[in-house]
Amino acid sequence: MTLATDAASAAPGTRPGRRSVAPLLVAALVTLALVVASLFVGVYDLRADGGAAMFLITRVPRTLALVLAGSAMAVSGLVLQQLTQNRFVEPTTSGTSEWAALGLLLSVILLPGAGIATRMVLASLSAFAGTMVFLAVLRRVQVRSTLVVPVVGIMLGAVVSSLTTLIAISTNYLQLLGTWFMGSFTSVVRGQYEVLWVVAAVCVAIFVLADRLTVAGLGRDVATGLGLRYDRLILVGTALVAVASGVTTVVVGFLPFLGLVVPNVVSLLRGDDLRSNLPWVCLGGVALVTACDIAGRTVRMPFEVPVAMILGLVGAAAFVALVLRVRRRG
Amino acid sequence: MPTRQSHHRLAAVLTAVPLALVLAACGGTADAGTDAEGAETAAAATTVTIEDNHGSVEVPVDPERVVALDNHVFETLSAWDVPLVAAPKGIMGDGLWPGYTEDDAVLDVGTHREPNLESIVAAEPDLVIGGYRFSDSYDDIVAQNPDAVVIELHPRDGEEQSAELVRQVEALGQIFDREDEAARVVADYEQAIADATEAYDGESTVVGLITSGGEISYSAPVTGRSIGTLFPTLGLRPAIEQAAEDTSHGDDISVEAIAAANPDWIIVLDRDGAGVGEGEYRPAAELIGGSEALAGVTAVAQDQVIYLDPDFYLTEDIQAYTALYEQVAQAFTDAA
Repeated sequence: MTLATDAASAAPGTRPGRRSVAPLLVAALVTLALVVASLFVGVYDLRADGGAAMFLITRVPRTLALVLAGSAMAVSGLVLQQLTQNRFVEPTTSGTSEWAALGLLLSVILLPGAGIATRMVLASLSAFAGTMVFLAVLRRVQVRSTLVVPVVGIMLGAVVSSLTTLIAISTNYLQLLGTWFMGSFTSVVRGQYEVLWVVAAVCVAIFVLADRLTVAGLGRDVATGLGLRYDRLILVGTALVAVASGVTTVVVGFLPFLGLVVPNVVSLLRGDDLRSNLPWVCLGGVALVTACDIAGRTVRMPFEVPVAMILGLVGAAAFVALVLRVRRRG
Repeated sequence: MPTRQSHHRLAAVLTAVPLALVLAACGGTADAGTDAEGAETAAAATTVTIEDNHGSVEVPVDPERVVALDNHVFETLSAWDVPLVAAPKGIMGDGLWPGYTEDDAVLDVGTHREPNLESIVAAEPDLVIGGYRFSDSYDDIVAQNPDAVVIELHPRDGEEQSAELVRQVEALGQIFDREDEAARVVADYEQAIADATEAYDGESTVVGLITSGGEISYSAPVTGRSIGTLFPTLGLRPAIEQAAEDTSHGDDISVEAIAAANPDWIIVLDRDGAGVGEGEYRPAAELIGGSEALAGVTAVAQDQVIYLDPDFYLTEDIQAYTALYEQVAQAFTDAA
């Protein structure tokens, strides 16, 4: 629990909610700069003939998708971390994304004619069921040290994704799995991303629930003692995360580490108040995924490197750095 | 691109080591083969010595019990009415070669991802034509079937694809005593190439694409599987001058990069077209012809998009290439 205690003591006695807004403004400006840069990075010369049309067909949708998916996955990580009281949990370490993938594959096999909305609903339902299974298993686990919790999640995720692979092999979909679930914004164009707006609603709902989620992060007994309807909050929180993961998985694929690195960095820097951290986590998620996508678009022009690959690299490095930094201080 | 590059480098090292071992082993077997040949000239009437991917091999002529695993050979064997005792039905599609896939007497070797090598042993083959997707199983097949001759004839990496296809069908002609038929297949193939080369104006730029899972990726000239070989063979001008890395599944490319390159022609392999992924299948015609961003590209605007036969992904044989070159020649001629 070094991470948690360190983060809590990082801001002793301060009330983060009342802090000056100046740093947040700077963070917002930096994120905005990245978002604007994303609009102007690409192979097509916008000054050329048809540049304006191309801007609207590919650049704007892609950038909006980055903003929506980035904030949703980062915030989902934060919510899961509160619900499980563990800093290492996020949709890809709780099995949530793997369940969403299973739901998506099943929807494709069982309902071939279904539209993207049906797919999203099924992926989200499956993600919800999977996350509930994870939480139920956690309740029965006696040793709940920092590392056991994500290990349980990763194990469940591995079981589910091997089932997904088995189904894919027997139905000849294996080749497609990689394409579907590799997080990439390359194919995001007008008419392809609009369903992502659903996750904007998820973000708003999480902002509304922020205080209650913070209390839930203190544990079942404390939360219930403070008058919180704990079980219902767990359901609602899980449902929100499931929708965010389900929709993002269907549209862009897995975005590893996003929900892990961003909330942890924010907590390290600012302490643990969820409500005042939320805007930071949102901005951080957007900034990180946008920066990674811009890098993915530029390193091998005119080809692209999927954002998931860059996120994996950057995320893993950032996370190791975080852990080492905490240990040095401790 | 540090991850993929290092990944590839690692892969190169990992493959280089066993490759060196195999090559060394091959040197040994080749020598042994020549010795054996000298000793057993009497048997020469019923066997023929061919060069497979590992060196010289003595193969019985017109063997009775044949197992074929390489997708490149099914079309030829099927046309010659060569019966098989086992085949990888999982990767042979539906209805392409019903004589093999729908005959229960032909044992199923499964797919290259989950091969059932025991079925090969059970089939008691005289000859196993392995290779291509099953290359990784080569050593196991050789070890498990001591009484069978195991050969690999698929196009080798680093060799000119076109010559490799010819080499393959000529070797099959020798083995099954159908050298005239093999020569005809080769002649058709060369004629199709000559026609397509003739029809190409030498100026138009071309981009090769692969579609799968609703995504478009880039098939590189020369190295890119199937479409890539068209570039050197026909002397096509690529619209995007950049070496790609994922040569079998294509590189991630955005529609705007294709639009920016503004090719005169687009040649597309629809990888999901061959009956895989029926539900989620988004046809290449929809992905490319229906793309807003590509509407202004010369190739799309002037209807100069060549879609490969959807079964191409499963066949990739010399006959499929012949048909493709005929298709290309026709399209070029019509546009001129």
